[in-house]
Amino acid sequence: MTPLTCFHCGEPVGGDAPLVARVGALDHPVCCIGCRAAAEWIASLGLQDYYRLRDAPPPRAVAVGDYSAWDRQQLQRMYVHHRDGGEAEVCVLLEGLRCSACSWLIERALSAMPAVREIGVSVPGKRVRIVWQPQLASLSTLLGALAHLGYVPHPLDRESLNDVVEREQRAALKRLLVAGLGMMQAMMFAIVLYAGALEGIEASTRDFFRWIGLLVTIPVVFYAARPFFAGAWRELRAYRPGMDTPVAFAVALVFVASIVETLRGGAHVYFDSASMFVFLLLGGRYLEMRARHRAADVVDALARLQPAVAERLDANGVPESVGVHELQIGDCVVIADGATVPADGELVSVECRVDESLLSGESKPLLRHRGERLIAGSIVVAGPAQMRVARVGAETTLSAIVRLVGRAQQQRPRWSRYGDRAAGYFVGALLVVTAVTAAAWLLIDPARAFAASLAVLVVACPCAFALAVPAALARSLTVLAQRGILVLTPNAIESLIRANYFVFDKTGTLSERGLELVASESVGKLPVDACLSIAAQLESGSTHPIADALRAAAGCAEPARAQNLRSVAGGGVEGDVDGEHYRLGRAQFALATEAEDDDRVVLADGCGILARFELREALRDDATATVAELRKSGGGIEILSGDSHSRVAAIASRLGVDRFGSRVHPEQKLARLAQLREAGMNVAVIGDGVNDAPALAGADLAVAVGGGAELAKSSADIVLAGDRLGGLIEARTIAIATLRIMRQNLLWSLVYNAAAVPLAAIGWVPPWLAAIGMSLSSLAVIANSLRIRAAASRASTPAPAAAPDLTPLPA
Amino acid sequence: MNIIFVLIPLSLVLVALAVWAFFWSVNHDQFDDLDTPALIPLSDETSSRPVEAESKTP
Repeated sequence: MTPLTCFHCGEPVGGDAPLVARVGALDHPVCCIGCRAAAEWIASLGLQDYYRLRDAPPPRAVAVGDYSAWDRQQLQRMYVHHRDGGEAEVCVLLEGLRCSACSWLIERALSAMPAVREIGVSVPGKRVRIVWQPQLASLSTLLGALAHLGYVPHPLDRESLNDVVEREQRAALKRLLVAGLGMMQAMMFAIVLYAGALEGIEASTRDFFRWIGLLVTIPVVFYAARPFFAGAWRELRAYRPGMDTPVAFAVALVFVASIVETLRGGAHVYFDSASMFVFLLLGGRYLEMRARHRAADVVDALARLQPAVAERLDANGVPESVGVHELQIGDCVVIADGATVPADGELVSVECRVDESLLSGESKPLLRHRGERLIAGSIVVAGPAQMRVARVGAETTLSAIVRLVGRAQQQRPRWSRYGDRAAGYFVGALLVVTAVTAAAWLLIDPARAFAASLAVLVVACPCAFALAVPAALARSLTVLAQRGILVLTPNAIESLIRANYFVFDKTGTLSERGLELVASESVGKLPVDACLSIAAQLESGSTHPIADALRAAAGCAEPARAQNLRSVAGGGVEGDVDGEHYRLGRAQFALATEAEDDDRVVLADGCGILARFELREALRDDATATVAELRKSGGGIEILSGDSHSRVAAIASRLGVDRFGSRVHPEQKLARLAQLREAGMNVAVIGDGVNDAPALAGADLAVAVGGGAELAKSSADIVLAGDRLGGLIEARTIAIATLRIMRQNLLWSLVYNAAAVPLAAIGWVPPWLAAIGMSLSSLAVIANSLRIRAAASRASTPAPAAAPDLTPLPA
Repeated sequence: MNIIFVLIPLSLVLVALAVWAFFWSVNHDQFDDLDTPALIPLSDETSSRPVEAESKTP
């Protein structure tokens, strides 16, 4: 029997009487009430096509929460923009927005509401912009509708309506097109001139074509190339000539020289070279920008981590929903089960369990007693809890982590400017050579001075030199992006090659967030298999990681037989299977004694213990292979984690890593990195949590594993999308290939220039030959860069590690 | 050959028109989402118009 999967979210459906949703004339199984409501609502709107069009399953629909707090005036002031004519506008970040069908569904479902005037969904940005009439529907209605579809809405503050990224992208696209069209036109007219130079052409016709060429190049130079001139101006004012300076100089000089030639009816013009140069460079930059935006688009990490509303108790002890910014020190707030702690504070209720994994890396929910500290951004897993607010806003630990990120980012090493500086020297030298040539010819034969110095300038125009690095980089960025490896900073590829020490975070990076069963031991009368099956039955209704692991180990093909299931927070579950009463959970709970508490899960009946199950964190499929591969290439490996010593040690020994640190705070991670870097290591940090974000920012190279916290991604150099750690090895292979190609490109352009410049300086190269030489040298560089893909396809992916066997515990 | 004095300015006008059209489309969100519009014709729009959507939302 094939396991049933939910019609809406595609997750397996458990139990013998699954819920069904009526869509069209058919009943479809669904996994939970939320998914049933979502599927039926979608069907009632006539939008069943969504299930046909989508290419990724949506998130499991959550029970719709209460969004009425969003209707408060104080909160709306920060999030809603009121436009003329009584319309309101809001921008909402949606968790779970994955494919075009999602955006289609959202557009259709919301525009069916009479209040909604305009709706714009951006899939890459994961956000939706809604314009609606506040008299007809409140903001909470809209948010509720989005949640009803299964997307968790997070309204963004008003500034995000002014989308900087969008403006940048549009401007780049326009410049690229202007440069492209200008280049085509200029080349077309240049061909006429080349043909004319060979076959003979009337001077008036020639001049006409030159003026036309000038006309089509003007927008390219003055509009499309503006970023280069602006960049060069910035670099020159800072006395630090970078890549923009030579480019701007070359464009300006070639353009001005061509105008001079046009005016005085000289031998040659180079409008085509100028516009081609601009177009190719803009193309490279556009690709780079797209890769950067795609991953960094999902900023607003704080919007997700820090809730916008809190339940504050007023003087009479009645809870009221208020905006988090309204909270003050000393306020008492209630945090529901599964809700996020809104500010730092002190627990007032007796006890609760909180999940701080995003902040500290600790994978297990922690028990907090009255008077102990709760941290903003952590999640209450067994609540509800009451808390007295101690620190708000910028004072909270979460904000401190964000500041640490900022500080560490400023300390980022700037050694990668070497290449830029070399190009700066090259341009300086080129200008000197041109000046010397002009001066020498003015003494020898003033009539040939202009042609010779122009030939030097054109033949050595740093096209090939300036393109050598960007062309190879742009190509490798494309190849990497096709493999789900997003490179966000220009230095990343060079850092990846240099990295010789790899620091891994544990939770979510090396290990998955789930658990797996490693050993089971039968103590009582029943065989191991029967115990496991009973345990799986008891856990059939739970979504806890332990339950998932036990169900997966038991195979869970049989229908549920458990009855009277009752779960005890922090203890375990109890219930009847085939008429017998069992308890499953911590030893303390299952045996109802003060037994010694360890990590094992115990199954017991009325008479005593039946079986013990040992669970451990599941390693990522490719973690072992990746670590082995990195070590083979001579890299040092270390694990730094906020988790407990025993868990980190267990993972480290499974991977064969002997250097590891446990219970490491973000500040300590930063200090350790500084120590390693002082010892001369090039450190790469691979992590996923928010607690890693400062460490990521302080490393030579920061790699975030996809699906991790958004904050970690925003300070990363490389994001491995698709949750594959093995992408790191591939990226390294491609980076090495890129470096090799880059060196070849630079060598080629240097050899070409070294050969051609002296010839041009002594007047042996006519300007038309110089132009052809320049174009060919650029084309050679681009063709060479295309070879990176071939090098990449030779890169092998590490094979996934074999699944561990289920072995009995040693007695 | 005098025809080029008409044709070339004409081609420049056409290029200018193309640039203007492209700028217009970029400014009117035509390049923001290149995937979703491809799906819209696949749906049977007219068959079932949403009814009472508002009352079904929470």
